[in-house]
Amino acid sequence: MDADRLSQGQIVAAVSAIALFIISFLPWFGAPEVTGVGVGGGTVTVGGNFSLWEAENPFDIYLLIVILVALVPAVLAFAGGGDAPLAPVATTLLAAVGTVLILYQVIDTPAELDRKIGLFLGLFACAGVTIGGYLSMQEDARRERY
Amino acid sequence: MDTGRLSQGQMIAAVSAVVLLVAMFLPWIGVDAPDVPAGVPVPEGLGDDSQNVWKGSSIDVYLLITAIVAIVSALLAVSGGAEEFSFFSAATFLLGFVGVILVVVWLTIDFPDDSERKYGAFIGLAASVGIAYGGFKAMQEEVAA
Repeated sequence: MDADRLSQGQIVAAVSAIALFIISFLPWFGAPEVTGVGVGGGTVTVGGNFSLWEAENPFDIYLLIVILVALVPAVLAFAGGGDAPLAPVATTLLAAVGTVLILYQVIDTPAELDRKIGLFLGLFACAGVTIGGYLSMQEDARRERY
Repeated sequence: MDTGRLSQGQMIAAVSAVVLLVAMFLPWIGVDAPDVPAGVPVPEGLGDDSQNVWKGSSIDVYLLITAIVAIVSALLAVSGGAEEFSFFSAATFLLGFVGVILVVVWLTIDFPDDSERKYGAFIGLAASVGIAYGGFKAMQEEVAA
């Protein structure tokens, strides 16, 4: 286990990825709750808040991939394994696209649902992963130069 | 502009990207109307209904970005700027590969129960596989060169 091997960019990306994972369980979208009588005569309530995982949307799988890719260097460092030279590029690219996708959902919310706190925190966390990945790329380039 | 500069991988990725862009406007999801005897009029609103990826799914923007990256990669190669932006082949592969995962997840886990999969979704899946394969082949060709 050698956490000191982690660069500043890798730490930023890993911490942001963990934050994004936790944020994914907060409410991302919401719909006004409506209570009515169901087919069997019982009371039925529809609407409420949805986390990223509850919304019918492959976006959750995409952000999970982003989180896993961002955590690869940290996991390798803790496991004492080798480097993952393509990880910073993959992290930056996937997280940047993820940030664009979340931003798009903020602007054009699916099915005109309400925007909830998780959506905005997720946007910042994904942007954090992007910045961390970009810093890692720069650190790698500097290391190669000297 | 010199199309001879395009590697086989870049060509596969670019053609697949164009196919994906076209497929995005074909039906991806729909509801088939119940069979009725010939000559019986189908009431309005009960006929076949289908939607393309822009209306029926939330992976539209992602697939658009993937197709654009694959096409830009080919355009850079044609214009002679591919060496400065060599990461585009890796980006094409990565985005295409993740695109395949997202389309498969959408077609299986996230697909609405009361709807049917239409041919556009399968053409889109095949095109995503083509982009991923083309990007991978382009990466290998760059290493070999």
